[in-house]
Amino acid sequence: MTGKFYATHAALIGIILAISGFITWSAVDARASLDNLVVVAPVAGVIALLAVILVAVTLLKPAPAPAEGEAGEAPSKDPGIWGDMLLLAGFGVFCYALTKVGFDLATFLFVWAGVVMSGGKGWWQPPLYAALFTAALVYGFGSLFPYPMLTLVL
Amino acid sequence: MIDQFALSQALDLLFSSFTPWLWVIPGLLIGLVFGSIPGLQISMAMAVFLPVTFSMDFLQAMLFLTSIFTGGAYGGGVTAILMNIPGSSSSIATAFDGYPMARQGKHNEALGLGLAASVVGAFVGYILLMLMIQPLAAFVLKIGPLEMVVVVLWGLTLIATLNDSSMAKGLLAGFFGLMLSQIGMSTTGVMRTSVGMPYLIDGLPVVPAMIGIFAASELLRLRGETYLVQNEAQRDISFGRILKGAGETFKYPGVLIRGSLLGAVIGAIPGVGSSVANLVSYGEAKRTSKTPERFGKGASEGVVAAESANSSSEGGSMTALLALGIPGGAATAVLLAAFSFHNIIGGPSFIRNQTDVVYSIILGNLGQVLLLAVLGLLSLRLLGLVVRVPLSYLVPSVLAMCAWGGYGITGTIAGPLTVAGFAALGWLMRRNNYPVAATVIGLLLGRMMEGELVRTMQISGGNPLRYMLERPIALVLFIIMLLVLVGAPALKALRRRRQARTEV
Repeated sequence: MTGKFYATHAALIGIILAISGFITWSAVDARASLDNLVVVAPVAGVIALLAVILVAVTLLKPAPAPAEGEAGEAPSKDPGIWGDMLLLAGFGVFCYALTKVGFDLATFLFVWAGVVMSGGKGWWQPPLYAALFTAALVYGFGSLFPYPMLTLVL
Repeated sequence: MIDQFALSQALDLLFSSFTPWLWVIPGLLIGLVFGSIPGLQISMAMAVFLPVTFSMDFLQAMLFLTSIFTGGAYGGGVTAILMNIPGSSSSIATAFDGYPMARQGKHNEALGLGLAASVVGAFVGYILLMLMIQPLAAFVLKIGPLEMVVVVLWGLTLIATLNDSSMAKGLLAGFFGLMLSQIGMSTTGVMRTSVGMPYLIDGLPVVPAMIGIFAASELLRLRGETYLVQNEAQRDISFGRILKGAGETFKYPGVLIRGSLLGAVIGAIPGVGSSVANLVSYGEAKRTSKTPERFGKGASEGVVAAESANSSSEGGSMTALLALGIPGGAATAVLLAAFSFHNIIGGPSFIRNQTDVVYSIILGNLGQVLLLAVLGLLSLRLLGLVVRVPLSYLVPSVLAMCAWGGYGITGTIAGPLTVAGFAALGWLMRRNNYPVAATVIGLLLGRMMEGELVRTMQISGGNPLRYMLERPIALVLFIIMLLVLVGAPALKALRRRRQARTEV
């Protein structure tokens, strides 16, 4: 039996190849001269080669015994993956919302939701903590920023 | 090497009154705070407090600003150890072993190791600066793009050693970082991969990328656990254990001295400095260690190598500023601004005519290093409290700070979005046992590498190998690099084979 190519691994290699391919195409398209491709061209070649090696090695490697596979060999079967992805998606939305809805509101909502998603107990502690933390960030961290910072409430 | 008369005048300038020292402790504290908050840069702190130096005399201003520099360099190491967030590119290698130590409940020891290595490194860096400012300045003047290429290549070789599970994964991660560094306008002005976004003209912002891939991705992995240190008994902040860690630093004199010397010399090279110094030092410590397999899993030598090099590079970076009037990085550029505020021009004439002031700056920095040891020890008790915060509260809070930090660096939405993008990339990489540090190194050094390579090609007329024969420093550096990378492991393998044969 051959090794399994897990979805998260396939996604990672796919992302690496897609981004590398696009950067290489863009660089060649912009100017196909030595000074412009001195790093891009050799690096693209090595990335393609390494990706092929990794895929081949993973597919040809014998599948691990179930007992061995529990410690990280089957990353996409981990039940925590969906929780991680949800928090990651929430983090992405939070980063985008910072300058759209205001640093204070976005931070308050994200920290509150994040505490609850990470296992914070009680119904009043998470929002209270989120409010205090947001105020501390806005008046502490934010005051040190050399840039204007959009806020909705504070 | 030392002008005795100028030295006595410098001592008089420093110790005849308390005035030059008045702002040193506040400066160290400002540096510690700015250095330990992700997104706040040391150079930013120095720039923010630059106007305060208007009312100071030159020596007082220099001691104040350099104390921010000194405190900030250590502060970045603290967050690298406790939260896997390198405060700046000079603390990347500190996180490699410091954070695993913290996760094992050895945060006290790791903080102590970092503090002692920083103090010794900074001390060695400034002593070297005092003894060798003129020869070092002559050396810096002889550094051209080819020499830079060799030094950056040396830093990049660390990629090959950072493999969590397989060499191919480590290399793919590193080369992907190199590829990402090619986004934006090239050294020769060619626009690549900007996808119509003005934010990408200067390439990906490295520090937000570093915060995302190191910290945010690790925080996502921590979700679901209870505390940073699982064992409750190990969660305390122990002064004794911090001191024990500090004492342990001296068990590795070779690593400490080599890291300090590498840091001072590489730090003197403008533009390369501490970002490369800590990586080269870590790489060398790993290569020469009898137990390289412990590196990346909480090896004390790793923390010592990284912290000694990044702290001693501070002394090195002052070489070009004092002797040539050239700032090697953002922090020394702010110091140069302070020079001009006080109508002082750095360079050979400054060293020749105002040797006493140069010596007082260096001696003042040595004094700061000692004060850092005391202040660092006192502040560690406070900073170390992070291990007692439940992860359900710590994870979203630090994630929010990461995004804020990204904004603090770029001043636009590009910073937080870079943090988020790299958090996702880092999460995918960690799940599949790819070393995220290799990507950061590639991203950090790729652009530097391209610029120096292009300049070398232009100067050499397209024949860099022949040009290398005309550049003795580059040739020597290249030979040393080859000896270290190929010669030393080959010798080790040969010795091991001989030993195995005699045992049979």
